[in-house]
Amino acid sequence: MNKFEPQIIAFACNWCTYAAADLAGTSRIHYAPNVRVIRVMCSGMVNPIYALKAFEGGADGVLIAGCHYVDCHYLNGPVKCDAMFEKLKNVVHTLGLEDERLRREMISASEGVIFARVIEEMVDRLKKLGPSPLKRAREEAPSLLKRAREEATV
Amino acid sequence: MIVKTPYREAVDVLVDEGGETLQLCYQCASCTGSCPWGLVRDFAIHKVIHEAQLGVVDFEDEGIWLCVACGACVNQCPRGVKLIDVVKAIRRTVMELGVGKMPSSLRVALTSIAGVGNPMGEAKEKRADWAKDMDVKTFTKGTDLLYFPCCLPCYDPLLKGIAGATAAILNKAGIDFGILGANETCCGEAIRKAGNESLFQSLAQKNITTFSENSVKKVLVSSPHCYHTFKHEYPDLGSDFEVIHSTQYLLQLIKDHKLEFTKELNIKVVYHDSCYLGRHNGIYDEPREVLRSIPGLELIEFPDYREDSICCGGGSGRLWVDTEKGQRFSDIRLKQAIDLGVEVLAVACPYCMSMFKDSQLTVDGGETVAVKDIAELVKEAM
Amino acid sequence: MGRNGHRRIGVYICHCGLNIAGTVDVEEVAEYAASLDSVVVSRHYRYMCSDPGQALIKEDIKNLGLNRIVVASCSPRMHELTFRQVCQDSGLNPYLYEQANIRELCSWVHDDKKIATEKAKDIVRAAVRRVCWNEPLEVKEATFNSNVLVVGGGIAGIQASLDIANGEHKVYLVEREPSIGGHMIQLDRTFPTLDCSECILTPKMADVGRHPFIELLAYSEVEEVSGSIGHFKVIVRKKARHIDESKCIGCGVCEEKCPWKVDSEFEMGLAKRKTIYIPFAQAIPNLPTVDADHCAYIQSGGRKCGACIKFCEAGAITPETLLNQTDQIVEFEVGSIIVTTGYDVFDPSVMPRYGYGKYDNVITGLEFERITCAAGPTGGRIVLKDGREPESVAIIHCVGSRDQNYHEYCSRVCCMYGLKYAHLIKEFTNAEVYEMYIDMRCFGEGYEEFYKRVSEEGVTFIRGKVAKVTDRAITEEEKGKLIVLCADTVLGSLIRVPVDMVILCTALEAHSDAGQVAKIFTLNRRADGFFLERHVKLDPVATPTDGVFIAGCCEGPKDIPDTVAQASAAAAKVLSLISKGKITLESAVAQVDETRCLGCGRCEEICDFHAPRVIHTDGRWVSTINETLCKGCGACAVACPTGAMSIRHFTQEQILSMVEALTEV
Repeated sequence: MNKFEPQIIAFACNWCTYAAADLAGTSRIHYAPNVRVIRVMCSGMVNPIYALKAFEGGADGVLIAGCHYVDCHYLNGPVKCDAMFEKLKNVVHTLGLEDERLRREMISASEGVIFARVIEEMVDRLKKLGPSPLKRAREEAPSLLKRAREEATV
Repeated sequence: MIVKTPYREAVDVLVDEGGETLQLCYQCASCTGSCPWGLVRDFAIHKVIHEAQLGVVDFEDEGIWLCVACGACVNQCPRGVKLIDVVKAIRRTVMELGVGKMPSSLRVALTSIAGVGNPMGEAKEKRADWAKDMDVKTFTKGTDLLYFPCCLPCYDPLLKGIAGATAAILNKAGIDFGILGANETCCGEAIRKAGNESLFQSLAQKNITTFSENSVKKVLVSSPHCYHTFKHEYPDLGSDFEVIHSTQYLLQLIKDHKLEFTKELNIKVVYHDSCYLGRHNGIYDEPREVLRSIPGLELIEFPDYREDSICCGGGSGRLWVDTEKGQRFSDIRLKQAIDLGVEVLAVACPYCMSMFKDSQLTVDGGETVAVKDIAELVKEAM
Repeated sequence: MGRNGHRRIGVYICHCGLNIAGTVDVEEVAEYAASLDSVVVSRHYRYMCSDPGQALIKEDIKNLGLNRIVVASCSPRMHELTFRQVCQDSGLNPYLYEQANIRELCSWVHDDKKIATEKAKDIVRAAVRRVCWNEPLEVKEATFNSNVLVVGGGIAGIQASLDIANGEHKVYLVEREPSIGGHMIQLDRTFPTLDCSECILTPKMADVGRHPFIELLAYSEVEEVSGSIGHFKVIVRKKARHIDESKCIGCGVCEEKCPWKVDSEFEMGLAKRKTIYIPFAQAIPNLPTVDADHCAYIQSGGRKCGACIKFCEAGAITPETLLNQTDQIVEFEVGSIIVTTGYDVFDPSVMPRYGYGKYDNVITGLEFERITCAAGPTGGRIVLKDGREPESVAIIHCVGSRDQNYHEYCSRVCCMYGLKYAHLIKEFTNAEVYEMYIDMRCFGEGYEEFYKRVSEEGVTFIRGKVAKVTDRAITEEEKGKLIVLCADTVLGSLIRVPVDMVILCTALEAHSDAGQVAKIFTLNRRADGFFLERHVKLDPVATPTDGVFIAGCCEGPKDIPDTVAQASAAAAKVLSLISKGKITLESAVAQVDETRCLGCGRCEEICDFHAPRVIHTDGRWVSTINETLCKGCGACAVACPTGAMSIRHFTQEQILSMVEALTEV
């Protein structure tokens, strides 16, 4: 039986968090391999649909990370991201996903260590939570659909 | 010339026993500079830490047993070395590997705690005797507050007043509280610092189980040592209750107008910050606010107060070790109080009280200053 | 371009020596890439960024008609521009390129080869999918305004300004204090040569004052900066000095006649100044300033004093100037900015164990500088507060530095200035001198030699971090003295040193308002509080914000030689931008699909840069983007309810293609 390895999709802002992830790399800080990073210019650029599509695709966790309030290259990106995140949280909750699957962080360009730590923590947490319920639904969907069709033709 | 060779395995043992911050030390010796032992004798704790870094600690050295865990060094350390934990790791190594020896009087106290749940060697069943003639009930499921007095006030006749005063205050304020008496055992804080990890774990488990069986949600303690271990160490072992120190609780009662002062005490009082309330837990203001609210009480400060307070010398198991005359911190502190011309030296810790009462017997003019717990002063003014 | 408009993708997996190939099976990844849709060619090579590596791509674009390129290598933050240039040189639009980061995000952070290779494949797959959606973008250029703004008139700002102005480009030098000079003008002697600080600095200050290409805005602060590299709009507040600058002849009579005194900031509170004052003799500009908060005339609404009005022969001070002069707002445009705002000195009052603020004769380094300075409050005599000469002095290192309770970093200059003080005390007094240190950091030119020289002068060195400074004596000889208590690590014993004066070598720290300054100039701050450079080794004066540079102590504590070097480095960077004369505008800006736009205005509301504007045209309301103001942050696209707004090169389709590629089972 394969041990469950959660998949995390991370949206990282170019100026801060992506730079922090790079710094973790240059510092050779090892962390769990479960994250796939997508670079955006600002955490305020993250459209809620990105996170929802990630969960729909079966991701077990989504991380939206950007600058601290004082650091944003575009001044108020984090504030705008916060506003979006509040609403996104509710939608994710309504979908039946555990709150911890969606995480918001502020990681600045010099905080490579923190980036690695956040990933490790998330992986740890997600391992305990198990695979995303949407993933199971996705896997079961074809057979459910097949059964529904069979029942419909009867 | 003694030549030493670094021994990596010994370092690894100390790191495993919880002393991993020894690796941070950059040998500045600001710890030795702030250590209270420097007031009375030669003791270079920075040397012990560096020996630990090299793996050449002399486990038979009596210096290992000098640390009183006062935290003055940890407070100042620019690298974040947790010296108390490093010393604890060394003592644990002594205990578990059988290298070196614990001072015999300390061993006696620990054996007594292991056997009868208190360091005095007194019978377990007598733990609630202090409350015999008082209106104090046994804690049961549903009681609001557990009062956990600490072994010393339970058994030591000189310190009984602390528990008695606290219980009287709780009754006057109409608080629903109870005690567990023989069902509780020593909190184990000093045992852990002395290096006996397994004894600490078994004591803690006993208490945690008892508290859990009785649905204890909130514990009132008189000792900052009990406070410290309940708050910071018991949760890792699965405990789930809130702990509050008597000075904090008294202040809350005063603020909620559940306590009324009817007498004016008209005394000059100096307050001694105990290490475990002050440096370790940042509780400096509540005891002072309680004292200031007592009518007629003039509060004076020692020149070295708050974070700079001098340890009484009772922590980390040294309460049970004989310290040579001329090397007792509590003597120094008592002399300071006498020189300040106060009537009362106020404390908020049974260990401090025990050490100061001992000093009163040998220091010139020791009887001119009364040593009292804050709870006792509050009761006097009620 | 490309046949049939279909995507023809070239994928290149870089070994980066063993940096990637040591952990990721690059051959396997290349093979995998070749199997992906629309990938025409997939190669792996040792160093893609090298000339032969780049040539591979160029050849393939030419011979295979590639219209999309993916390089899997280091972070795009390293070489995206390099490979975009390769595309451009081959006639391919630079935005039809994607970089897959399989080094910083993969090979450098994992050691299991299988896992790292699988992850690298995922990353490459995502990049290949994304690049399919990339569209060519127009690369626009704009002219570069050759004016430069330098913020902060200390030695760094002065040096940078002169370097640029000597190239005959206009510099606006803004300084918040009434005069330029910074902290360096407060210093007495500079280590290790012991030349007089004022003597080497004032000629430069004078040069600044009269330079035809430098417009000095002293007693002024930058309030707002907008725009971007090549065309920043700057708003500066010139604070009112309450004099008529055009009439003032700098005679100084007003200061002489003023009867009101307050603590002098320049003298670190050791002396007083008047409420109309010139901060020090060589001030540039040589203009008095009225301290409106303490001027009796101003505070009384014109009823009290007025001595300066009476005595000013040039008529530069009048009731009008005193009572009605207001701050002036000045606006101008520059193409680049150099921030040289310097440092603050750590306040040791937060460490009560050293007794600063409690004992008169415990002082900081800067205070000692003023004491030894011949023009200072004691006329250069090294004396205690009560005027006596000290018999003994202790100099304590690492106060607030190398201490996780305050600042973890080393302030770099304190060991040297501690030695300097020891030397000066030995030279001018008969006092005993003790240096309490943890390490002696004498790294620069002539520094170690200076340490040896001071050792030969009879200074006592004690290795131990001081635990306490107290006045509680335990022996006769300690009475009336300050006792420095520390453990000598070499001896292994406690040392009590009775002294008359204690000098604290205090840390250099970021200015208390560095946060606000950072916001104005869009600077990031490091964990230690100083401004963040673009790359700590390879680009120490540039910042992540194009066109904004930092130099000197605002970038971290450093000595004068390093400060001057950085200032000139920043000036060089600016001069190179000016010499190029044009800059490439950000292409990845917002765009409006007018067919979907409702003209609701949410984009205009959310944008901090005023780029979107809803206008009425053709009978409807529709949003338009001012591309020179747009930074491409993406907020408007998220706010847009219809999806009309998108960010070029970061469209929804492009990002979602990556999400889908990565979450495929």
